[in-house]
Amino acid sequence: MRISIDIELKDVPGELLRALEPIASYGGNIVSIVHLREEKKDKVPVHLIFEIDSQEKLKKILEEYEKRDISVLKIGEAKRRIVVTVGVVGHIIDTDLMDTIDRINEVEGALVEDLSLRMSDPEKESSAIFKVVLSDEEIKEKFFERLYEIAREKDLLIIKSISD
Amino acid sequence: MKEVKVQIIGFGFIGQSFAEVLTKRREYLKRNYNLDIKVVSISDISGTIYGDIDLIKALRTMKEKGRIVDYPNEAKVKKSSGLGIEAIENIEADLVLELTPSNIRDGEPGLSHMLAAFRNSKHVVTSNKGPLAIAFKKLKEEAEKNGVEFKFEASVGGAMPIINFAKETLAGTKIISVQGIFNGTTNYILTKMTRDNVPLDIVLKEAQEMGIAERDPSYDIDGIDTASKLVIIANAVMDIDATIKDVKIEGIRKITPELITLAKEDGYVVKLIGEVCKNKLEVSPRLVPISHPLNVGGTLNVAVFYTDIAGEVTVIGKGAGKETVSALLSDIISIYRCR
Ligand SMILES: NC(=O)c1ccc[n+]([C@@H]2O[C@H](COP(=O)([O-])OP(=O)(O)OC[C@H]3O[C@@H](n4cnc5c(N)ncnc54)[C@H](OP(=O)(O)O)[C@@H]3O)[C@@H](O)[C@H]2O)c1
Repeated sequence: MRISIDIELKDVPGELLRALEPIASYGGNIVSIVHLREEKKDKVPVHLIFEIDSQEKLKKILEEYEKRDISVLKIGEAKRRIVVTVGVVGHIIDTDLMDTIDRINEVEGALVEDLSLRMSDPEKESSAIFKVVLSDEEIKEKFFERLYEIAREKDLLIIKSISD
Repeated sequence: MKEVKVQIIGFGFIGQSFAEVLTKRREYLKRNYNLDIKVVSISDISGTIYGDIDLIKALRTMKEKGRIVDYPNEAKVKKSSGLGIEAIENIEADLVLELTPSNIRDGEPGLSHMLAAFRNSKHVVTSNKGPLAIAFKKLKEEAEKNGVEFKFEASVGGAMPIINFAKETLAGTKIISVQGIFNGTTNYILTKMTRDNVPLDIVLKEAQEMGIAERDPSYDIDGIDTASKLVIIANAVMDIDATIKDVKIEGIRKITPELITLAKEDGYVVKLIGEVCKNKLEVSPRLVPISHPLNVGGTLNVAVFYTDIAGEVTVIGKGAGKETVSALLSDIISIYRCR
C-alpha cells in the first residue's frame, strides 16, 4: 500500500534522516518527499509518500516516530495518481485551446499538466500531445467522456494510448 | 492415402501462389500427412477448367494469357464459361478453396460460393474476409448443418497464426481482449512516416508504386480492412456475434508527421490498432509505447491476447503476401487430421 503522511520535524540538521530511517528499516520504499520550509518557525512540516507491504510494518514505523518525538499531523492511504497521455489532431488553437484545457480541468480530479503542440502551417491542422493527471483510476471514464465531447464539438481527432 | 479433391475458386495472386506451393509440396504432404491433394477445378472471372489439371500448365496459362480458360486444349481437361458458383454446384469435390476478392459491402461473390459449397457438403477453406465480416454466424451455422468444416485462418493476419492459435493452442484459457495490427499497408505507411518524417499522402503514393497499397487505398487507411478482421476474431475467438456494422472505426487519414514526432519525443509510436473485448470493437490510431510488443514495424502484423491463465501472449507475422498460403495449407491439413 501507498501511505501519505504529514509530519513535523524540528528545524535542526539530521532530522529528516531520522524520519526516513524507520521507513527504510522496515523495507518501505520512499516515493516522494516534500519539504515545506517556512521562515521563522522552529518546526518544519514535511509531506512523505512511501510504499510499505503491511499494516504491521506501518504500525512499527509509527511507534518508532513516537519514540523519536516526531509528530504525525495527518496520515492516510495515498491515491495512486495516474498520468494519461493523449494525442490530438485538428484546429486545436483556432477552436480555443484555453477553453479546451479549462473544460478538461473542470472534471474533478483531472488536470492538464503538460501540452506539446506543433503546427506545420498556420492554415493546416495542428498536432498535440496532452498529459493529464488524474487523481485516481475512477476519474478516467469521466475524463474521456469530457474529452470526446469536446472533440466532437471542435472536430478534433483523439489518439488514445494503448492502455486507455 | 487420403485423396482430397480441391476446387480453386478465384485464381489471382493467392490462388496462383497456392498452386505454386502445391506443385512443390505434393510429395511432402503425401509422405507426412498421408494426403494426396488434387486440384480438380480452377475458376476465375473468365470461366472454369476441370478434369485432370496440370498446375504448372495452369500457372503458365495465367502468366502468358491471364485467363484460366486459355489453358491448352487437351482431352483430359474440360472448359466451361460457368463461374465459381456453377463449378461448386456441378463438379464433384471434397473441398472448396474460396479465394475471390474480399467484398465488404455484400460479401459477394464469396458468400454465395461458400453457401453453395456447404449445401453440396464440401468443406471450405478461405482467405476471403468479406463474407465473414458480414455473415459469420450464418456461414458457421450452414457449415455445421451440413456437417462440413469451415476454415479461414488466412483471412486474418495472412501467415500469422491467430484463429487456430487462439482456439487450439490457447484452448481452455479465457481470452479477455485482443489488440493488434491487422493491416500491413497502414503499418508500412505509419512506420515510414515515423522514420522519415513525411506526410501520409507522399508515403501512400510510394506504397502504391511498390504494390504494397491498392489503387483505392480506402479499405486500408480508413480502417475497414482492420475492422473486418476484428469482426472475424470477435466471432471466431471470443464468441461475440458481431458484424462490421458493430465496429467503431477511425482510420489514419488525419495522422500528421507532427503528431508522430511529438509522440516519438514522448516515447510512443502511432499505430492503427484493432481492439476487441466483450463490449467493444474498435479500430483507431493509438499511441503505443516504443517498448510495447505491439510496436512492430514495416508490413508486419501482430496480435496481443490478454488472457486469464496465460497472461499476455503475442504473435507476430506476415499479414499478407504469398506467405498467406501457409495458412491455407495448414487449414486443409487440419481438416483431414481429425477425420
Ligand atoms: N493478396 C494477399 O496478400 C492476401 C492476403 C490475405 C488474404 N487475401 C484475400 O484473399 C483473396 C484473394 O486475394 P488475391 O490477392 O488473390 O486477389 P486477386 O489477385 O484479385 O484474385 C481474385 C481472383 O478471383 C477471381 N474472381 C472474381 N470473381 C470471381 C467469380 N465470380 N468466380 C470465380 N472467380 C472470380 C478473379 O478473377 P479476375 O482476376 O479474372 O477478375 C481473380 O482470379 C481476397 O479475398 C483477399 O482479400 C489476400
